[in-house]
Amino acid sequence: MSTATVPNIATKTKVIQARNVSKVFTRDAFQVKALDNVSIEIAGGDFVALMGPSGSGKTTLLNMIAAIDRPTAGELLVLGQNIFTFSDSQSAKWRNEHIGYVFQTFNLIPVLTAFENVELPLLLTKLNSQQRRDHVMTALKLVGLEDRVHHLPKQLSGGQEQRVAIARAIVSDPTLLLADEPTGDLDSNSATEVLEILRRLNQDFHKTVIMVTHDPHAASYAHVTRHLEKGMLLPA
Amino acid sequence: MTLTSFVRKNAFRNLRRSILTVLSIGFSLLLLTLMMAIWRNFYMEKGSEESALRLVTRHKVSLVFSMPSYYREKIRAIPGVAVVVPGNWFGGVYKDDKSGNFFAQFGTDPDEFFKVYKEWKIPDDQITAWQRDRAGAVVDSELAKKYGWKIGQRIIITGTIFPTNLELNIRGLFTAPQPTQAVYFNQKYVEEAVPFMKGQQGFYTILASSAADVPKVNRAVDDTFRNSPQPTKTETEKAFQLGFLAMLGNVKAFILSICGAVVFAILLVSANTMAMSIRERTREVAVLKTLGFTRGTVLGLFVGEAVVLALIGGIGGSVVAYLIGMGAAKAGGFAGALHVKVATMAVAWAAAAFMGFFSALVPSYTASRLGIVDGLRHIG
Amino acid sequence: MAIPISYNIRNLKLRKGLTVMTALGIALTVTTALFIMALLAGLQKAFKTTGNPLNVMVVRKGSTSELTGPFPADNFGTLKTLPGIAKNAAGEPLVSGETVVVIVLPRADGSGEVNVSVRGMMQNGLALRGGVKLAQGRWFTPGQREVVVSESIHKRFSHANVGDTMEFGKGSWQVVGIFDAGGTAYESEVWGDVNQMNSDFDRQGVYSSAYLRATDPVAAAALKNRVGDDQRLKLDGSLETEYYAKQTSSGSVIKFIGLLVAAIMAIGSSFAAMNTMYAAVAYRSREIATLRVIGFSRPSILTSFVFEAVLLSLLGAAVGIVLMLPFNGMTTGTSNQVTFSEVVFSLQVWSPWVIGSAVLFAIVMGLAGGIFPAWHASRREILAALRD
Ligand SMILES: Nc1ncnc2c1ncn2[C@@H]1O[C@H](COP(=O)(O)OP(=O)(O)O)[C@@H](O)[C@H]1O
Ligand SMILES: [Mg+2]
Repeated sequence: MSTATVPNIATKTKVIQARNVSKVFTRDAFQVKALDNVSIEIAGGDFVALMGPSGSGKTTLLNMIAAIDRPTAGELLVLGQNIFTFSDSQSAKWRNEHIGYVFQTFNLIPVLTAFENVELPLLLTKLNSQQRRDHVMTALKLVGLEDRVHHLPKQLSGGQEQRVAIARAIVSDPTLLLADEPTGDLDSNSATEVLEILRRLNQDFHKTVIMVTHDPHAASYAHVTRHLEKGMLLPA
Repeated sequence: MTLTSFVRKNAFRNLRRSILTVLSIGFSLLLLTLMMAIWRNFYMEKGSEESALRLVTRHKVSLVFSMPSYYREKIRAIPGVAVVVPGNWFGGVYKDDKSGNFFAQFGTDPDEFFKVYKEWKIPDDQITAWQRDRAGAVVDSELAKKYGWKIGQRIIITGTIFPTNLELNIRGLFTAPQPTQAVYFNQKYVEEAVPFMKGQQGFYTILASSAADVPKVNRAVDDTFRNSPQPTKTETEKAFQLGFLAMLGNVKAFILSICGAVVFAILLVSANTMAMSIRERTREVAVLKTLGFTRGTVLGLFVGEAVVLALIGGIGGSVVAYLIGMGAAKAGGFAGALHVKVATMAVAWAAAAFMGFFSALVPSYTASRLGIVDGLRHIG
Repeated sequence: MAIPISYNIRNLKLRKGLTVMTALGIALTVTTALFIMALLAGLQKAFKTTGNPLNVMVVRKGSTSELTGPFPADNFGTLKTLPGIAKNAAGEPLVSGETVVVIVLPRADGSGEVNVSVRGMMQNGLALRGGVKLAQGRWFTPGQREVVVSESIHKRFSHANVGDTMEFGKGSWQVVGIFDAGGTAYESEVWGDVNQMNSDFDRQGVYSSAYLRATDPVAAAALKNRVGDDQRLKLDGSLETEYYAKQTSSGSVIKFIGLLVAAIMAIGSSFAAMNTMYAAVAYRSREIATLRVIGFSRPSILTSFVFEAVLLSLLGAAVGIVLMLPFNGMTTGTSNQVTFSEVVFSLQVWSPWVIGSAVLFAIVMGLAGGIFPAWHASRREILAALRD
């Protein structure tokens, strides 16, 4: 199956359709039901906040959508595709093209500069170095870091690191932006900067954003807030 | 940035570890290159065209036993023999030598000597001067340089095997393709001083008329003397030189076992380093995969990293080996076997790259198979 | 306060993969070093232990070996009468005039020909070499074309069994016995009657060497000097033990090359060990800080890490020794640079000297690889390490 044939997603079409998705982790003798019959639909252009106590399955759900993990039961269509039928290399390509992922702990590569970190996903594309440079600079400008291009992660503040991570997530112009507690490790000023960027990406660039957070202030940036508890999605 | 420069950056991420790994591999590769050079020079080089035409005949039992002088005429009569000259090991020590360095002295026949060693360069007038002086000698120009000898100078060699000293006048300086570090003089000098050497010769060097004659002459000479009290053993110049080496023991097995140990050591060192770096980067691997890197690319990144480190070690080690070989080649004799050809260095690089590649396969494969979820949850 | 050893052992166990690979790397280096040392030990044993310190060996003046200097048999008569010579059972001087020649024998495995020393001796020659024991058959009979061969020649060459005939000199010789020279240089020889040998090799009227048994060590020294000082004789005397000890020159080449190889490999392995220990320090940086907080001192952390490195290399040494043990006693040959004949000797892995130096070698490697990382570990600031 080719991953390139995704139709242009008009706003308000369903980009995510999850039906009765369950995920059970088995570790030694224990079984943990991380997701329990979760059904959710998210429309293109939405900004969704996922909230819930620690261990409620938020990251697990995000991982499902990013084709990082597979459910034990249920069905999940992302951009109209049943991503669980993908092979490893197909889902890698899928993530590269359609998913931008932002981690709580930034996860920048320490030996690479801001520019190089952002360029990393583009190395997997057919773009030449000039095209890559243009994309990277656009992304860095968008997060307001065009003057920090040659800094290494350790020379940046936490907020700046997270902005580089967001630039990396959007540099390949994905449809979906998934953020797992993106402000969890930041002070409130930096958090606001990051949230503003996410809002801009949603409003001006029509990215569908799904953000996991504990913080009601962060959740207030979203159009919709959904709650998970013990793996179950509470009614909206 | 490209994937290649990403690999390069990763290779030097932990600078101290990379340097230690490169040094460790470099020392091993230094050894490997020298061993390969020795192997090549001893067992693979055919020798020069002229050398391939030369045969050496000695007493069948050992070089320490001499053969009658009349063997020379008998050998000369064999079809395919162009020239034959006698050679005698004198084994003396240079009187004015304080360093204790040893060089070879051979007694021979000045009239025909340079007809056998055609490719050695020496002015004709110096050959004539040597032929005219019974106490004359020609010396390797490299050796002369080492001791500061000039033409016309007198040198004294103290006999250790023979009860006489040689007082030789340097009449000529020759240049051989590979330094011989030897002195050649007229054997008649020794025959006159040491009565029991009269009519005896240590070995004969034969120049065959053509390459096709070499095996025929080889057989014919030994057949001629098979049933005499002093049977002979004839071999090519190269084989004759190798004979000295074989006396040390099983040199081939020695070299091979060292190479084997070195190769395994490099594999272990490199695999160890990669296992350590990969373990530390478990989380990063998961991030790369989240960004869309496939298993294959991740595998390639790590294997490439190991190859880069091994190659740097390999290039460093082989270059040092090359320098050592260059120094040793100047010293001449068996040390010349350490001479490292560029082709040998290239083989060393290829070997290093291969070892880097294989050592990284297992740890890199494990890393590439690691699930993203587990990788992201990895702490440390 | 010292950190308990069990802490180090547990840590090595915890990082099993790393430990095993580093130890294997060290083991390989130790194996190489061991191989070379075993070779040297065997060679040294073959020459050093050869001879009786009371035996004085005589050759022509200026000659460096028994092969290169025959001397007139008349001189032997003079030698016999020198003072200080012990008497045999029959009350005659315990002396032997001998002839040594080198012959070519085919190897039993067909891999070419090898030079072997043949020694013609007088009846006293056997008594002079009391350490050499008969293993099979009987000794040769004077006046007969009979030879006894050493055990290693018996094993390594064809036609060297009791009852076989060997072809050399002017005809065939009957093998009547096999002797056990106990790993000495005689292990590479064939013995027979001196007169028979002399006539076969056209050496009538000369001897290669003579052996004289002195009554005591002081007499031996005096005898040796007297032989050399006597102007009429033109002979040189040396103690038999000295003579053989001098003949290890081919050993010195092996030694030189071997030590060089071992040193290069050892340096390489030290770097690898250093890598492992640095990694160990990095992984445990918090743990080290915690130990410091609890109250362990810097020196005790330093000692603990150095100790762990040494432990690691000792593990490597143990593996290396085990890997080499099967080769213990394996025989090989090298040429005696003086006689050009083959010297047979065995690899001596299981000797205190060899095992001891292998262990020492490993400890040095461990120290070299451990001391910097350990220093690094003990120097780290507690807070910096805890934050890691
Ligand atoms: N890879 C895994 N192996 C075992 N258990 C897991 C794994 N991932 C998550 N879990 C468990 O599943 C549950 C949900 O985890 P997660 O989705 O990470 O929660 P959240 O992100 O909401 O804090 C937790 O109980 C967690 O321990
Ligand atoms: Mg989570």
